[in-house]
Parts: sequence; C-alpha cells; structure tokens
Amino acid sequence: MSRQYLAWGSADNAHPVDIFSLAVTQKQVISASGAPSLKVHSTVDADFPLVQSLDGAHALGCHHVVTDVSGTRAVSAGFAGDVKVWSCQDGYWSADATASANLNDLNVWAVALSEDGQYLAGVSQDGHIGVWDLNADGAQIRDHETKGSFGTCIDLSPDGRFIASGHENGAVYIFTTEHARMPFSLSGLVKPVRAVAFSPGGKILAAAGDSKVIVLYDTSSGEQIANLSGHSAWVLSLSWSTTGEYLLSSSFDGKVKVWSIDTKTCVATQSETEKAVWSVKWLPKTARSEAFTTGGANRSVAFYREATGG
Amino acid sequence: MALNANILRTVIPQPDRQACVRAYIDNTLTDLVDQLSLPPTEAQPSIRIRRRATPANCTINRGSGALEAVPNLEVYRTYSWPGATAYESWKFTVIIRILAIIDQAVRSGQWVSKRDIYYIDPAYFRSQDTVDTVIDELAYTIGVDRGALNVEAAGKGLIAGAFALKRDSRLVLDAGFATQDTLVPRIQQNDEIDILATRWVLVIEKEAVFHRLVRNDYYNRAVAGQGILITGKGYPDIRTREFIRHLFDATCNDRRPPRFYALVDGDPHGVEIMSTYKYGSLAHVHDNASLSIPGLKWLGLKVSDAIIASEATGSDGILTLKPRDRKKILAMLRNSPVLANDGPEAEWRIELQRMLMLNIKAEIELMYELEGGLEMWIDRRMFRQE
Repeated sequence: MSRQYLAWGSADNAHPVDIFSLAVTQKQVISASGAPSLKVHSTVDADFPLVQSLDGAHALGCHHVVTDVSGTRAVSAGFAGDVKVWSCQDGYWSADATASANLNDLNVWAVALSEDGQYLAGVSQDGHIGVWDLNADGAQIRDHETKGSFGTCIDLSPDGRFIASGHENGAVYIFTTEHARMPFSLSGLVKPVRAVAFSPGGKILAAAGDSKVIVLYDTSSGEQIANLSGHSAWVLSLSWSTTGEYLLSSSFDGKVKVWSIDTKTCVATQSETEKAVWSVKWLPKTARSEAFTTGGANRSVAFYREATGG
Repeated sequence: MALNANILRTVIPQPDRQACVRAYIDNTLTDLVDQLSLPPTEAQPSIRIRRRATPANCTINRGSGALEAVPNLEVYRTYSWPGATAYESWKFTVIIRILAIIDQAVRSGQWVSKRDIYYIDPAYFRSQDTVDTVIDELAYTIGVDRGALNVEAAGKGLIAGAFALKRDSRLVLDAGFATQDTLVPRIQQNDEIDILATRWVLVIEKEAVFHRLVRNDYYNRAVAGQGILITGKGYPDIRTREFIRHLFDATCNDRRPPRFYALVDGDPHGVEIMSTYKYGSLAHVHDNASLSIPGLKWLGLKVSDAIIASEATGSDGILTLKPRDRKKILAMLRNSPVLANDGPEAEWRIELQRMLMLNIKAEIELMYELEGGLEMWIDRRMFRQE
C-alpha cells in the first residue's frame, strides 16, 4: 500500500553549497555543508526558521554531523580532518572546546554518536574503527582494524551494543561493543557502501551504496533478510523511522524513497530534485504524523510529512 | 650542510656560464668585425662550429654496450663568407643572425624561444629545424646548455581550427588549412587574429583528448558550429595562455563572441589546470593579469557527469582518490583564493568536496565509451551552456 508524503516546508538555500549531512533532535535539525557554518533550524515552527548559525565551525566544510537523542551533544567532522564537539543548553549550541581538544588528531571520516551521547564511534580512511568515551576526556576505548578499505559510513545501534561500518570495497562489518572481539563481515555488496543504519531495536542493519540496492541483514546471524530494489542511482543515505516500520533512503539522482519493512516494498517516492540528496532523516515521531527531512545538492533543507486522511 | 653544498653547486656556475656565452659572442663578433675591416682580398670572415655527435662518429662501448661519442674526436665545421656554396653562405648568415638574437637576449636578460627566433624571419630560416640545430650547435660549441643562451624550449601548446594569424598584413599562419597539429604561435603586439566563423574555443587539458577531437574533425563538425581546439598539454605554458587570452580579447566585443570552455579531468589537477587558464598560476603572479581568461566556462568533467557516464556504459571508469589526491584537494581548498569559501568559484569548490565525499575521480577518456562518444557529449553540454 502506498503512502503519501507532502512537502511541508523548507529552509531554502540554507547553505550556499551542497548540504552533506543532517542531524535531528527533538526540536531542531542541524545541517552541515561545504561552507564553514553549521545551521540550526527549528522544527517546532512550521516555517522551520533558522535559530542559530555556528559560524566558522569547519573552515574547509563539514561532511558529517551527528547528535545524541536528547539533543544535548553534537559532533561534527570537517573535510580538514577536524572533529568538533558541541553542547546544547536551552536550545542554544556552543562549542565544547575541552572535548574538541581531546579529539584532536582523531583521524576519522564518518562518525556516529551513542543515544546517550557518551560514546563516539568513527571509521577512518584506512578502515580503522574506533570508539571514544566523551565523558572520560575522549579516551579511546576501542580500535578495530579492518582490511584497510576507506570507511565511508558508520552507525551505532540504539542500545549501544553494535557498531556497523560500511567501506569502499563493499565490505560491511558488525561487531559488538561489549568486548573487543574482531568484527565479522557481511556479504552481499560489492560496490562502495555509502550508508549503514541499525533499526531502532537493533535487530536489523540496512546497508546500501553504489549497488543501488538496499540490503537488510539480521544482526544476530549476519544473514541477509531482504534486498530492497528500486533506486536507479547510488544510494547515499538511510534512516529508520522511530517505530522501525519504515526505512527512508536517498540517492544521487535526487530520489527519496520510503520502504515498508513489513512488506519489503517501496511505499513512496519523492522526486522534487534531480540533484544528489546527500542526507535524509526521520524527525522524532510526534502525535501529529510522521515526517522527515532531506538535504543535498539543491542547498535547501526540505521537510515532508505523511498525508493524513483529514 | 650537505644540502647547502648541493645548492651551491647548482647555483654558482650560472654567472660563469653566462660569462662564457658573452665572452664567446664578443670574441666571435670582434673577429668578424676585424676580418671585415681587412681589404676584401685578405678578409676571410668565418665561424667555427663544434659538431655534436652524429651516428657516424658514435661507437658502441664494448664494456657497457651503450652508444657513446668517440672520445677525443672533436668534429669542427667552419662556415665562411661568402663560402664555396650558396648553402654555406646562407648557413653562415643564419648563424650570425641567431648569434645576434642570443646576444640581445643574454644582455637584456630576456628569454626567447626557438619558436620566437624562427618567427622573426620564417622565410629566411626556412624551417624550425634550422633554428633548432644552430642553437644546439652554438650551445655545444660554447660548452654550455641551451638555457645559458636564454633560449627556452618552444611552446608546447597545440591548436587546431579555423583561424589565421596575420603579422604586418602578411599571413603567417592559416590553421584552417593545416594538415598537421600546429604549435600555438607566439603572439606579437600588432598581430591580428582572424577567427572567421568561430563559435567556440575549447581549452583541453590533455593532448590525447585533443588529438582525438582533431582526428574526428570536431572543430568543423560540432553542432555548435566551427570552433578552435587548443591544449597546453597539462599545466599550460605562458605561450598557450597568452594566445588564448589574445583570442579572448580579440573577440570579447563581438556581437556574438565565441564561448570559451575548459575540458579537464574530474580530479584535483584538472581543476587546478582550469584555474591556471582562467585565473593564472602562483608561479607567474606578475603576468596573470595579462594572461587570465575571465570568460572561461567549465564544460566538464564533473563528478555527476562521470557517474552518469559510467552507469550508462557499465564501465569501471570511476577511479578512487589516492591519499595524495585527497591531500592535494585539501591544500587547494585551504590555499587557493580562487577556491576560497567566499571566492569566485563556489561551484569548483563544491565539486572538489564532492570528490572527497565520494572518494572518486574520473578522466575525460571515460566519455569515449558513451554512445555518440565524447563528441556528442560535448555537443550536448555546449548546447546546455548556451
């Protein structure tokens, strides 16, 4: 059964160049782009006003920004290799200079933050996966070596038990955070992987990239559960809805798709742009309806909500 | 210390070599003047040239098996005026004329190219080869390299298409009828370029791509009309940049000026080469104002072009960035005023960031495999930019 998502509004030209990453909190969306500033947009107001600009955050631009669930901490990673920690009080973000200084020379590309904001996971360009404890002066508590292929994406399961990373050579690794065991690799993708995402319960891992197909894995067995086919370009971003019923994906040709996990089918496709959509994220579920946000080469942060009967 | 010693070794001899050159020229010219002041019956103006090794006076070293010059065999050839043959007298005057040009270059500290020397009097020198040979022979005779004569290599740029170059109302180059690749000519102050019906000028990074387009007669067959193909073979030399700038200046006030496009690889070097054409290089900061091509537009190759092409052809033409490519991009983003965040080329900057993001790059040759080839792709792309 198909579903409809309606354009809900957008922060047009939020950045002067491509938006590479979006991070979502209860009331805000933080967008990161090739320009130095991070932008904070309110999702409480249907006009999605800009509430803060973190100017000069990353001189050479920023490719990843992540937040914890409560929206008190954010971490951003810049093209120059600079990683910054941000903390939020009363909806206002400021740089956490001490925590940022601890993370100097982190050597990571993609980053993920645990739900409680304590642990930062990152994967490097030479395939190393590290975990750092931000409540203990950024001490590194895990360092896993993989086969050296560029780590393009990483995710932490919401319960904090698993880390998954996707690599340029098509490899997807999962390992548990409880013990420093070697990761095991998941087969199925041969082309570069661009996105990995754990389901809210942590039972399923979705992975996708240049193969254009989204592969769902059972995280306990490593077996493939399903292949979701329908994108006709490289898949760049994945996001699970709060309930785990829907998976959101975006691709290089500007398509955004919503997949039903129940039926393993695509239930909605947005094609408002022909330019790459680098990042998609569901907004936290509210009483009103389900909604998501997208950002990419058209430079705007767009919002969509489910069309309800009335 | 070792490093310093090295620097000293390479730097110090330069004035010596220049002094050698000046001394040789002075002595030679003084001798000639002395000879010419003698009564005609006694005068024997001549110039002695040491010949370089030719296959005839080379031998195989029995030990190393390598071809080398016969030791202690100095081959000299003396050219006299008026000489025994017409050839000898012509060669004598050619040597003297070139010597005079070098003399002027060395004294004024200016550089001159083999190509420039040839164009001073093409009819007299007859061929570029004559000029090249005499310069090399003079350098060998004096015992220095060509650089000490303030003579640089000929410009490396190549050009094809419908244009003609007039100097003092004489046609010196008509590329429209050229059957071979034409070297980009040196432009002089009062040169006139007639670019006839040219609708576009395509500045190409790579020589191989240039040759393909020339072979396919693209400058005549493009949907956008007649055009000019030009390549500086990688990072362009001053000559090539100067010529394109001249084309640009000569046409920018036309009612329908031709479009200037850059066709470069989708990698950091491609972007830097395009930036050199459009804005100039750090190595020649003083000249950039007279060499830049403000109207240059980026035709390709962009990341999205490459991805679409590789998907369409099923080729593996998309390449992975090497760590040094990533370093190069970061250095460009950090240091280039052209690519600065508030600089004039936001689209170039974001394209480099997309390369970093996807960790990919691509070469123009990828487009060969498209249906209709690179040519049809350029046709479409020019149409879109019109």
